[in-house]
Amino acid sequence: MDNPTYDPQLTEFEARIARGEKIEPGDWMPDAYRKQLTRIISQHAHSEIVGMLPEGAWITRAPNLRRKMVLLAKVQDEAGHGQYLYHAAETLGVSRDEMIDALHEGRAKYASVFNYPALGWADMGAIGWLVDGAAIMNQTMLAHCSYGPYSRAMVRICAEEGFHKKQGQEMIIRYAQGTPAQKQMAQEAIDRWWWPALMMFGPHDSESSNTPQLVRWGIKTKTNDQLRQEFIDEMVPALQALGLNVPDPEMRYDKASGHWAGREIDWDEFWRVIKGDGPMNAARLAARRKAHEDGRWVREAAEAYAGRTTAVGN
Amino acid sequence: MTDQWPRYEVFKQDRPDGPFRNVGSVHAPDAELALMNARDVFARRPSCVALWVVPDAVIVRRTAEEFAREKGGRDERETEDIIQYAVFSKQSQRQAMTYVDYVGELAARSPVEALHRATETFRESPGIVWWVCPASAIVPSDPDDLPGFAAATGKMFRMPNQYHTIFTMQKIRRGEEGDD
Repeated sequence: MDNPTYDPQLTEFEARIARGEKIEPGDWMPDAYRKQLTRIISQHAHSEIVGMLPEGAWITRAPNLRRKMVLLAKVQDEAGHGQYLYHAAETLGVSRDEMIDALHEGRAKYASVFNYPALGWADMGAIGWLVDGAAIMNQTMLAHCSYGPYSRAMVRICAEEGFHKKQGQEMIIRYAQGTPAQKQMAQEAIDRWWWPALMMFGPHDSESSNTPQLVRWGIKTKTNDQLRQEFIDEMVPALQALGLNVPDPEMRYDKASGHWAGREIDWDEFWRVIKGDGPMNAARLAARRKAHEDGRWVREAAEAYAGRTTAVGN
Repeated sequence: MTDQWPRYEVFKQDRPDGPFRNVGSVHAPDAELALMNARDVFARRPSCVALWVVPDAVIVRRTAEEFAREKGGRDERETEDIIQYAVFSKQSQRQAMTYVDYVGELAARSPVEALHRATETFRESPGIVWWVCPASAIVPSDPDDLPGFAAATGKMFRMPNQYHTIFTMQKIRRGEEGDD
């Protein structure tokens, strides 16, 4: 690569970002910016699509009609969010087919949190409150992103995800105040999802080689550890107020820093799940491939119909 | 092994007198299914009274930067017939969930001529990005489909303000029973 310091296009590009302008499809951008964004947005899209699976399995087992409609609506939203994001990634020159093939062939990453199983009904509450809560923190930051299509998708997603987080929190509040069995159900769900939710923010800043460039180009405005700390500081006191605990005996409030701090994430587990060896990696991909294959006849029928009506129209 | 359908850009109108705004795109084998996909993807919540879809392939786009780059070398093929073009523009750098708004129509011999005339005709628009397409390429949702959009209006459980979690947490922290 040429010395970027004297590249007038790069200088103007960075000046535009500094002025708060959005970079739009058609504008000049460094190859590394396009590459990083394509990676991040397509991973994000896959996460929304795979994210339907842990909750989708519980739709038929919802305890009442309202909960069922809420869960259906939430899972349908995730499908829509995947579509917004595939659209945003396409504006960078990658095709939807390429992205979906990469997912199905196991070449693409998605949020590791969805490689954990949802073992009980209260997990629907814990996923909504913790997992969507963590996602909203990341996405609220990304709504300020310098790339127009990604920023717009994030603004729309954040507006819709408020519902996802709140329906989960409402559920956990109710169970925490319910019968001892309900409270235990809520606690077990929190125990299952706490660590995977913390892992969602990604590796430590010191291990995250991409972060400095992403911050410089206005893709991220906060680091992984900053966002993770915000999440811990919000969640720990809220769970404690409900008489629930996080599964971390070392979690303490540090008066000097004003932050909550507990033990280290199990980074071995973190990297193992990312590399494909989590409890549900194989099952999630198998479910996606099956859905794609099972839908083939619908796509073929729609195409045949479109071909016929066009022919008649001519 | 591509079996990818063509892309349609989607424009959504939030209230009867409001502008049509670009919200994103969908893939579909034809415009009819594009409208159905657009409804599922972009109208799951109450604020939608009408949708337009336009095949991506007939839209010609320019950002302000691209206009500046081609200054002088205005490549125009004014060989086509004069037709009506629909004009869209990005109105602001503010953070938003929509991109270009429909601003009106004009007659031109080519998309490139339409783009250049748009910047003169719609002077009041900041014009950060311009799109034009033949006005005849816009496929609107059928007004009879309104019940399809209305289906979202009853689903208030999709709205975050239907959940009183903040208020309930405040009550619990004060030592009262939360009852949301």
